[in-house]
Amino acid sequence: MAAIEANPVLAEQEERAATRRWSVGGIALDLLTIVYFIFALFPLVWMLLLSLKTPDQLFTTYFRFTPTLDSYRAVLGLDASGSVPFVRFFINSLIVSFGAVLISLLVGVPAAYAFARYQFKGGESLLFTLLSFRFAPELMVIIPIYVIYQRIGLFDTHLGLIWVYQLITLPLIVWILRSYFQDLTPELEQSALLDGYSRPQAFVKVALPLVKPGMAAAALLAFIFAWNSFIFPFILTGSNAQTVTVGALSFMGGATPRYNLTAAAALIALIPPLLLALSIQRYLVRGLTFGAVKG
Amino acid sequence: MATLEVRGVRKEFGKLVALDGLDLDVGDGEFFVLLGPSGAGKTTTLKCVAGLETPTAGRVFIGGRDVTDVEPNARRVAMAFENYALYPQETVFDNIAFPLRSKRYYLPPAEAKSLIERVTATLGIGHLLERMPGELSGGQRQRVALARVLVRPADVLLLDEPLSHLDAKLRAAMRAELKSLGELQQTTSLYVTHDYLEALALGDRIAVLRAGKLVQVGTREDLWHRPVDVFVARAFGQPQINLLGGQIEQRDGEAAFVTPDGLVRVPLGPVDLPSGAAVELGVRPRDLVFGEEPGMHPLRGRIYVVEPLGRQREATIQIGSQQIAVVTPFEDLQPDALATVSAPPERLLLFDRDAGQRIPLAMPGGVEETPQWREVEVSGRG
Repeated sequence: MAAIEANPVLAEQEERAATRRWSVGGIALDLLTIVYFIFALFPLVWMLLLSLKTPDQLFTTYFRFTPTLDSYRAVLGLDASGSVPFVRFFINSLIVSFGAVLISLLVGVPAAYAFARYQFKGGESLLFTLLSFRFAPELMVIIPIYVIYQRIGLFDTHLGLIWVYQLITLPLIVWILRSYFQDLTPELEQSALLDGYSRPQAFVKVALPLVKPGMAAAALLAFIFAWNSFIFPFILTGSNAQTVTVGALSFMGGATPRYNLTAAAALIALIPPLLLALSIQRYLVRGLTFGAVKG
Repeated sequence: MATLEVRGVRKEFGKLVALDGLDLDVGDGEFFVLLGPSGAGKTTTLKCVAGLETPTAGRVFIGGRDVTDVEPNARRVAMAFENYALYPQETVFDNIAFPLRSKRYYLPPAEAKSLIERVTATLGIGHLLERMPGELSGGQRQRVALARVLVRPADVLLLDEPLSHLDAKLRAAMRAELKSLGELQQTTSLYVTHDYLEALALGDRIAVLRAGKLVQVGTREDLWHRPVDVFVARAFGQPQINLLGGQIEQRDGEAAFVTPDGLVRVPLGPVDLPSGAAVELGVRPRDLVFGEEPGMHPLRGRIYVVEPLGRQREATIQIGSQQIAVVTPFEDLQPDALATVSAPPERLLLFDRDAGQRIPLAMPGGVEETPQWREVEVSGRG
């Protein structure tokens, strides 16, 4: 540490940073940052406030009210009524999102590897087709899918949602991981081949461990997209396989919109992606491939 | 243990022809060096032998068996890559043990451990086994890559510029070390380099490659004394061989080399070329001697510049419009002073100027010594 502090370049940088902080431009920059954070965080704060209000305080108070956890109890079905199936929505969301990501990883990781390493006929078009799923609006395909699902019995099932979620998660995972595989020097696997391993073994033992950070990042992103998906579960599920995004909205219907319940539901729905992001944070930082390159 | 044959191998990458009908014969246990500038197809040759690239045409034989369509992992070939290709997520020990854990080269862990300890001790990396490749210096990584190649059984060893990323001092040390490794001496090895010193020091035989084609194969003496053309002559030696442009002058069945300005005239004996044929006369800077020597051909000029090279000096001498380099221990060299150097007639090389081919000379005496590369090695890098 001492060596770092003694570094004249760093010291100078620190000094400059310190003077910048108190210059006019520095203060303006800080103000701008604060304004941005208010803009970005206020909706969240407002939702938290809403979720802590009673229904009659919803439209009469701003910041001064008696907080209560009644909304959370209602959403989680812990109060007297016990009729709200939000917990089931939550479990549905977990099942379909994890399911979709899992299948996308199983299919997408080998696909990404093949796209990165082998040139085959139609490879580029296939890759582009996969990407085009992402620019096509979901609404464009939702009606035919609805009809098809009704006919073949996938309507309102977990499997049906997991399947249709591949439109969201698979392109993401293939495209992100392909670039990770491309960054690996092929000589690592070539070396494994010469060391007596088969091509599949070289993939599993050498290439795969090196793209772990990429897999974590892609899987997390895919999970968030799947978790937040609204239009597919909205159209393609009934009461059985409904997800949190649709479930949270259901509180808004009826004669009196119960915003407090929607807010509580949305905040609860925030927890899994947040926990997931925190738990794999260390993988999100790239840096495992050092040493493979020339010294 | 096996012979290696490459028969008419051609490799195209799209429109680019990387190898154009390459033929190689490497004997059992031979240390064979491929020398050439970058882009000559050296690495492509190795990859075709390893099976990592499929030749567009031609066959590869290892131990007499046609392996052209055999998967790389079934060829019993080991390769050290130019960029080492160490597995960054594994420790040094696990990297070296990697081949020994495969089905094909399996060794029980206890045996593998003792073997790895023996090999790494020889290479001086025994204390690094628990490190990750990212924590090693270039020289250490290179030894790890070498250890991984040496611990496993192999019919053919392929070494792709293993020393190229090391600094000059370490390279010289590793060169000597490579030579002393028994495993390398006994196993058929194909060694790729662009450094002529490595080629001369290590190769039982050397093949010079240019633009995907074989230019010349031979022992170090062949390549040094009898290069087939200007390209090979230039490839060996630092400073490069002197090439004086001029023409042939025939008189009474005896030919002479004459520069256009007439300042240099060197009798060559009988040469099968007409008068006026455009040629280049080659003589290596270390073969030239300061002063007039009996039995040698004097070249007279003016000293242009002198560069110290450790215990020797490299002088550039201006002869008319051409320059020649001389390496000499002679100390009293002043720029602009008149100087005479003598060229030993048996060391002269004559090339056709347009085709670049060497034209054989009838050498008086004809006593052939081993090339002067050992001296080159010591002082050239100093």
